[in-house]
Amino acid sequence: MSNEEAKEQNSIPTGKVERSAKFVKTGFKIGGNYIKHYSKKLFNPDLDRSELNEDNATDIYQSLSELKGSALKVAQMLSMDKNLLPQAYVDKFSQSQYNAPPLSGPLIVQTFKKYFGKTPDQIYDKFNIRSTNAASIGQVHQAELDGKKLAVKIQYPGVGDSISSDLKLVKPFAFRMLGMSEKELDVYMKEVEERLLEETDYELEVRRSIEFSIACKILDNVVFPDYYPDLSSKRIITMDWLDGMHLKEFLATNPSQELRNRIGQALWDFYNYQQHELRAVHADPHPGNFMITTDDKLGVIDFGCIKVMPDDFYYPFFSLTSTNLFEDKEETIKAFRKLEMILPNDTPQQIEFYHGMYKQMISLFAKPYITPTFDFSDKTFFDDLFGFGEKVSKMPEFKQARGVKHFIYVNRTNFGLYNILHDLKAFVKTDTYKPHVENGRN
Amino acid sequence: MATTESIQKAYIDYVLTEGQQPNSVYVFAKKNKMAEDEFYRFFGSFDAVEQSVWTGLMERALTEIRAQEIWPQYTAREKALSFFYSFFELLKGSRSFAVYSIKKHRSLGTPKVLEPAKDIFEDFATNILNEGLETAELSDRKFFSKRYKDALWIQFGFVLNFWINDDSAGFEKTDEAIEKGINVTFDLFQRSPIDNLFEYGKFLAKNGGLKEKMGF
Repeated sequence: MSNEEAKEQNSIPTGKVERSAKFVKTGFKIGGNYIKHYSKKLFNPDLDRSELNEDNATDIYQSLSELKGSALKVAQMLSMDKNLLPQAYVDKFSQSQYNAPPLSGPLIVQTFKKYFGKTPDQIYDKFNIRSTNAASIGQVHQAELDGKKLAVKIQYPGVGDSISSDLKLVKPFAFRMLGMSEKELDVYMKEVEERLLEETDYELEVRRSIEFSIACKILDNVVFPDYYPDLSSKRIITMDWLDGMHLKEFLATNPSQELRNRIGQALWDFYNYQQHELRAVHADPHPGNFMITTDDKLGVIDFGCIKVMPDDFYYPFFSLTSTNLFEDKEETIKAFRKLEMILPNDTPQQIEFYHGMYKQMISLFAKPYITPTFDFSDKTFFDDLFGFGEKVSKMPEFKQARGVKHFIYVNRTNFGLYNILHDLKAFVKTDTYKPHVENGRN
Repeated sequence: MATTESIQKAYIDYVLTEGQQPNSVYVFAKKNKMAEDEFYRFFGSFDAVEQSVWTGLMERALTEIRAQEIWPQYTAREKALSFFYSFFELLKGSRSFAVYSIKKHRSLGTPKVLEPAKDIFEDFATNILNEGLETAELSDRKFFSKRYKDALWIQFGFVLNFWINDDSAGFEKTDEAIEKGINVTFDLFQRSPIDNLFEYGKFLAKNGGLKEKMGF
């Protein structure tokens, strides 16, 4: 008991000063890690930076997980782009997808009393006051009502308030870790802030979850929990408990190729149906948001983050990936201009350069779309993809902001999807839901 | 026929409408169509009415939290948190009165209207603290453990003042103040580096010849 207690976190530092202090502390620790690294290097010149990276990642993760809320979310986002981060960061940050220390029991009871005028005991037949896992801006509890197992998601108080100031605090770290320019980061941060603020609106999430689960009902092997609007509020969501395994646990059971394909196909269909039929997509494809249910279906459990794809993004972007547009250089450049990948002030040399690079990048990205099937276990494809990402991230030409803001979540969604499919080593039919763009136009 | 509740209600209504206590029990009784001695059957003074409102709230909060199924499983820390949340949730229903009463009786120490409520609070605090000491959740320190309950009462006064000035929606900031404040207080009650430091000091005093040097 007391052991469990000790792990439980007792407060979120919410004042800006307090949170800054957390980051400053982390800064000191990282400084310390560098000293440790270089003093070791004095004696062992061959020492590589992986230990240092690991130390840094641990410290950053610790301070982020104490901060909860948006900082944890940013950690999750960073962990999606494996190609941008050293492996040690990725491993540590991936943890944030599964566990962060929970809040006190009485605060949970208080939240219920505030929104329903009743304690959880009075609402549910059974309610487990110890949370089963963290959901980055909230935590999940198991409950039971009328013989049904439920998942109850509760949001930490004051999350909305702290998002903006958190993001400002994360910025200097993001600079360092991602090596981006301030302007580029601003575009990124603003879009992220918008999505995060939406995510704190649990009433919106319930509405969207119901909409999306109805719209996606036609898909094979994809299941959604039922949501209970009557038992949900601004800070609480009640939904069915999906029994099953997280991706990592699922993969550890050594599933058959057939099963992996089936889950992979469900995932592919789920995303492409949304992108091309609904024009709005579940933009949070981190493994923690999915379950492999006991009857071997893909369960989707979090609709907090939805990216709507406006026409002025959708058409130029998917014309590039899914038509023969690249054969026409003029038209291609026009599309790049629409997407702000080529800017009005670019010189002819720059236009030439970015045309070449982006063409290469998008052709690579679009590879799964070109053929009717695609084998996501193909390591060379991912090596090419990450290799290219790495190369680009080191090029001074790509230090500045390029591309409309919509890329942030669309890229995150698609890279996230690719990553999960790669982890699954799935062989997928990629022509099930194709982009609605026509050859030679748009 | 007057009851404790009806007099409380009439009194609260009076002070909130008039912004002050009635001039005399006579005036108050007449206004509420009862005999003066009927008032005295229940209360000795207007301040006593206010005191009873506060103790009433506190007792209700305690009854409520103790009725919760989860209650026996809570640690001392969680019991304290639970009390604070419930009390301030209840207090919301009488916010105007609470603000009036505290502002009117503001004083350096415990306001007079809160004195009987303080007794109830201390009973409760002593109980949960003793539980905590028994289960070793809290650190038993000579002299200090007897004062833990005072620290909680100070915390109570702090949160009460915070709440009076809180203008956040749903008093969410007060929730945060409770979560942080109570946790910090209990962190101090728990075994901490200070205990170890103290013990190290004691050890040195006994064995390190420190005693002679320090002159005791």
